Amino acid sequence: MPPFERTAPQNKPFKQRKSFATRRQEVAGIRAKFPNKIPVIIERYEREKYLPPLDKTKFLVPHELTMAQFVTIIRNRMALLPTQAFYLLVNKTGLASMSLTMAQVYKDHQDEDGFLYMTYASQEMFGH
Amino acid sequence: MNSISPSAAQYTGGVMQDELVDSRRQQHMERQSKATGEPDEVDKLKAKLMSAWNNVKYGWTVKSKTSFNKISPVTVLGHSYLLNSEDEVERFHLAFVSRVWLTYRKEFPQLEGSTLTTDCGWGCMLRSGQMLLAQGLLVHLMPRDWTWPDAQQLTDVDFEVFRPRSPARAVGVPILSFGSPRGSNTPERSLPSDNVPRRSQWTRPECARDRQAEPIHHRLVTWFGDQPPAPFGVHQLVEIGKSSGKKAGDWYGPSIVAHILRKAVATASVVHNLAVYVAQDCTVYKEDVVRLCDLSLSETPAERSSQAWKSVIILVPVRLGGEALNPSYVECVKNILKLECCIGIIGGKPKHSLFFIGFQDEQLLYLDPHYCQPVVDVTQDNFSLESFHCSSPKKMPFSRMDPSCTIGFYAKNKKDFESLCSTVSEALSSKEKYPIFTFVDGQGQDYGLECHSSNHSGSAAHILPSGKLGRSNNRRNSDEFVFL
Repeated sequence: MPPFERTAPQNKPFKQRKSFATRRQEVAGIRAKFPNKIPVIIERYEREKYLPPLDKTKFLVPHELTMAQFVTIIRNRMALLPTQAFYLLVNKTGLASMSLTMAQVYKDHQDEDGFLYMTYASQEMFGH
Repeated sequence: MNSISPSAAQYTGGVMQDELVDSRRQQHMERQSKATGEPDEVDKLKAKLMSAWNNVKYGWTVKSKTSFNKISPVTVLGHSYLLNSEDEVERFHLAFVSRVWLTYRKEFPQLEGSTLTTDCGWGCMLRSGQMLLAQGLLVHLMPRDWTWPDAQQLTDVDFEVFRPRSPARAVGVPILSFGSPRGSNTPERSLPSDNVPRRSQWTRPECARDRQAEPIHHRLVTWFGDQPPAPFGVHQLVEIGKSSGKKAGDWYGPSIVAHILRKAVATASVVHNLAVYVAQDCTVYKEDVVRLCDLSLSETPAERSSQAWKSVIILVPVRLGGEALNPSYVECVKNILKLECCIGIIGGKPKHSLFFIGFQDEQLLYLDPHYCQPVVDVTQDNFSLESFHCSSPKKMPFSRMDPSCTIGFYAKNKKDFESLCSTVSEALSSKEKYPIFTFVDGQGQDYGLECHSSNHSGSAAHILPSGKLGRSNNRRNSDEFVFL
């Protein structure tokens, strides 16, 4: 199925690329190896037009890292200007406070598969 | 024809039917070209049709009355009005009409670097931003709780309390007569049957004071004039936006506009003693605000010697959800609009910018920039202010609010700023576990991640190949963990 292949697998959401069992196994494996790290999936908001795609989707993040620090890391990876709008939405809906640590966010919002899912987006434009 | 009253007949007046059809088609083409990201050159004819289209569209909206019930208070920028008495309705009327209303304009001097002489069809977010700044300037310059002495009567509104016997209700208006102590069949006031409350006979003690402030009001509006020299006019804002990669005819977002306003105020010579702070990543760094406002920390000796503190407009660009507004933030938005230090929210419905100034129940109250008016020459003495104030309040459900917006606050002095931090934090923290933004001590750079970011940049050793982690034999680059 060449046409299917051409829609680069990375463009599909992570959850659709892998089965629940695979994802769970992946988390179990990485957690066993690095108990002090949190597995986070970062994906671009599907309708995002202004922010670049990120080269990686899977991150292993220290517990004590704050959201502010995490956002800064992602911003730097994309080489964004400080004035460019950038938001990390937890589970596609909510903003997590910048002062929270990743462990706190993970505790409240981790997925059943053990990953923490975040979506990044800028702001919409208005014109008519 | 500077003096306008938003009556639907006037909007459609003089526009031929086939012109309307054409303009509709034009609008459709516009949308398509936007969608495909093609650059669009709006020529003069197009602009004309666009403006006709917009006003017809606006006219359709205006025809429907906005109804306000008398059971729940209407909140307008920190003040609440329970519309069950004539006095309260009058206070609401003054509060609404006194806000500066900035809309699309046509036939203004050409925008530099383009052929555009109108912002109709693209500049609504800039207009919302202007309204937000104008509100900040009103609070900054005018007497406390100033209202416009020449405020027009409200039009296209329906107040429960003034409804006469067996009224012809608009479709969909909830019948809320049970609150009346006299029974629903008795008119509570003997009022003209046109449903429009008359101007109250009582005179407010502030009247003379507000009248005296009229020259400042006039001057404030000139700063938003549609001429290149106007410090907060569309020409200037578009010019400033160029450094953010925007040009005339582009669409703007609430965050970009916040930064444009910050730069406009910083470079304007007309407003002294006012600064604009724009929060980054949903965080207000208090020390950064202090550094902006505390003139004793200033680098210029003249300013440093003074003990003064600059007033500040704090703008917080946020995204309250992915595709749609996260319903759990509605309560928070309401709490913010209840605060006296709030100067409004620029946002809108998807693609359609509006300036939110209040709410009633589950509906936001707004000022709409989508009415294309002829330009007013604000350099003329005694130009009419009428087209800069809106007499028809509009509401829309919270559920239709686009998640992208910028929230505005104002603090006159240091004490104000400190109380702003605590009252806003309180308003944000109620119920919702994660506030939509936060105030933190210190400067933004204290929280920046110089060490972390420099550590990880270009260090391939931090990337774990996924192959070691199980059966996955897919060696795709993206399938590796990035180790932070």
